[in-house]
Amino acid sequence: MIDIKKISFKYNKGNYILEKFSAIIPNGSNYAILGESGSGKTTLLKCIGQFLKPQTGTINYNGKNIFEINEQKYRESIGIVFQKLFLFPHLTVLENLTLALINVQKKNKKDAIDQASSTLKKLGLHDLGTSFPDQISGGQAQRVAVARALLLKPEYLLLDEPTSALDNNTTNSFAKWLQGLEKETNLIIVTHDQMFAQKVASTGIYLQNGQVLAEGKIETIIQESNSDGSKK
Amino acid sequence: MKQIKIRLSKVTILAILLFSFFSFGYAGKQDPLTIALTGKYPPFSFFNQHGKLDGFDVDIAKEIANILHKDIEIITTEWDGIIAGLLTNKYDAIIGSMAITPKRAEQVLFSNPYYISGAQLFVNRNNSIKDIRDCDGKKIGVVLGETYERYLRKNHSNIIIITYKSTIDIFQDMDNGRLDGFVTDQLVGAWQIKKANKSFIKKGDLLYKERIGIPVKKSDPLLLSQINKALAQISISGKKKQLYDKWFALKIEPEFTKEANQKMDSMVVYKKLLKGFSITLFVAFFSLLIGFIFALPLGVILHKKKGLIYILVRSGVDFIRGTPVLIQLFFVYYGAPQFGLTFSPLVSAIITLSINSMAYLAEVIRSGLLSVNFGQFLGGRALGLSKFQVFRFIIWPQAFRVTIPPLMNSIVALTKDTAIISVISVGEVIREAQSIISYTFNPMKYYLIVAIMFFIVTFPLMKLASFIECKVKEKGFMHD
Repeated sequence: MIDIKKISFKYNKGNYILEKFSAIIPNGSNYAILGESGSGKTTLLKCIGQFLKPQTGTINYNGKNIFEINEQKYRESIGIVFQKLFLFPHLTVLENLTLALINVQKKNKKDAIDQASSTLKKLGLHDLGTSFPDQISGGQAQRVAVARALLLKPEYLLLDEPTSALDNNTTNSFAKWLQGLEKETNLIIVTHDQMFAQKVASTGIYLQNGQVLAEGKIETIIQESNSDGSKK
Repeated sequence: MKQIKIRLSKVTILAILLFSFFSFGYAGKQDPLTIALTGKYPPFSFFNQHGKLDGFDVDIAKEIANILHKDIEIITTEWDGIIAGLLTNKYDAIIGSMAITPKRAEQVLFSNPYYISGAQLFVNRNNSIKDIRDCDGKKIGVVLGETYERYLRKNHSNIIIITYKSTIDIFQDMDNGRLDGFVTDQLVGAWQIKKANKSFIKKGDLLYKERIGIPVKKSDPLLLSQINKALAQISISGKKKQLYDKWFALKIEPEFTKEANQKMDSMVVYKKLLKGFSITLFVAFFSLLIGFIFALPLGVILHKKKGLIYILVRSGVDFIRGTPVLIQLFFVYYGAPQFGLTFSPLVSAIITLSINSMAYLAEVIRSGLLSVNFGQFLGGRALGLSKFQVFRFIIWPQAFRVTIPPLMNSIVALTKDTAIISVISVGEVIREAQSIISYTFNPMKYYLIVAIMFFIVTFPLMKLASFIECKVKEKGFMHD
């Protein structure tokens, strides 16, 4: 469980991007963080990912403040796929996958390759192992990035705007593909795409100007946010 | 064993007694006598056709060492730094045909003169100049740092004086028509003109006479008196006349004329050039290796732009890149000894070029790091890799690929830069070429050979650089 308590964050002298924001992200189902662009979604994700530290408030992971526990351990429990993916262009897809297995989890090279290959196969990406990131399509790259994070068996996997580079068809098949990962991890999806969120997540939150607009079942918050938006 | 020791010490005591009683320069075999000369001033000092140091000064130096019962070590160095080298303890004395002047005597102690020569004006055979008084407004060449320059400036201020590194360069410009005449030692001039088969002739009387002495450090009066006594002995024993005849009678002997057109044995030439070039490559290789090792952390510091260390590194790198490498070389070679650090010429060269390449390579590495998107760092950290691992496995491999082409260019540039280390008498290829030229009087030929040697090494490097550049572009690493 990730328990976010009254966090506020701003860059230097700017306005608060998140203000006294609170939410509880449960374990056991996929969670969506919805909102228009500029609503603070990505900042929230970077805070959860421990890349940004809020000026006030706390984020607890399984009851412990994430800024006080071992950084390395935490990173292994929380996977992140950034909007721009950041696949490593000088490494093959397989090497992208095995890098952390070998150097963080200290697996020997053969085990790492076996594990990465079987994951690629399971996720339907087995032809891509020897390709370089710039030789595969946007949809494939998105899946490879998810697979790379998934291999470390994180309890939560954060995806930042995973559909931004995908067309409608690929978005649909990607959503289906993500549904198949339910047993592997808990997804936290940051997106502005309500249709996509509905397909993948069961609960979530709707952010507006750094504050919670709606929270709860995904269908409900989408309804609420839409009606609220039209009112304004 | 003990007995031998005792006997040895008796001998030493006897020697000391002898020395103090007769003040005779006999102190037993100790440290070798280290002397400097240019090796480029025939017939006083030059490399002969066998590639060995030879000449009047060399013979005098050997005689002195012989009388002092010392081994001799001869260092060849450039004329314009020869006194600085003496003052910084690179050698004990200069036996290099140095004229005794009050100005020089402020810095060093001079021995009694070991020969007398004089300044002479030489011009082309068909030139109408009659003597030095006809030379106002004319271009007259002298070798840099020689007494003639000061004399001309003082006494014939309307002459346009042009300074050269060596007489060979003067001959070259006489032929090119850049000079109307030149002033040099009458003995040397005549010898060189005949040797080079030039049609230059003496005009007018000696401008003045020069007394040639041996300078030692002011802190070394003991050596001075030893040298003076040795010189006296050389003179009394008739050895000096013998040497004088050996070297200066030559200029009227037919034997010499025969030798004038003789070429240097080509095997000796190529052996010298290859030996020199291997030193060039040795210096270039180690300077680059050391420079690169230090450039890596400095490049990271320059990239991070954080803290006091950044300011220090930034200014250091800028300073090194903004100053001539020749000056840096002089700082290391002549400056470091003042802080108690005396390096051999080779070590000085490697230190200077390492520091120089370090500064350039640090910039290259910085720009390489700059080309890697910051997201790559985030991506690596998100996978739980430590900062060092991110650098080692993700940032550096990408930066390095981008770095290769400019890195290759720096390697080429630095390899060429080794040419300047000849000024502190590292026996690299340029210096070897100069010593060959001082004997053969054929600068264009040997400089061309040296240029080709450099090109043979740098050309593949340049090709490799552009090949890798293409490969890197294909792989898509060359975008921002």
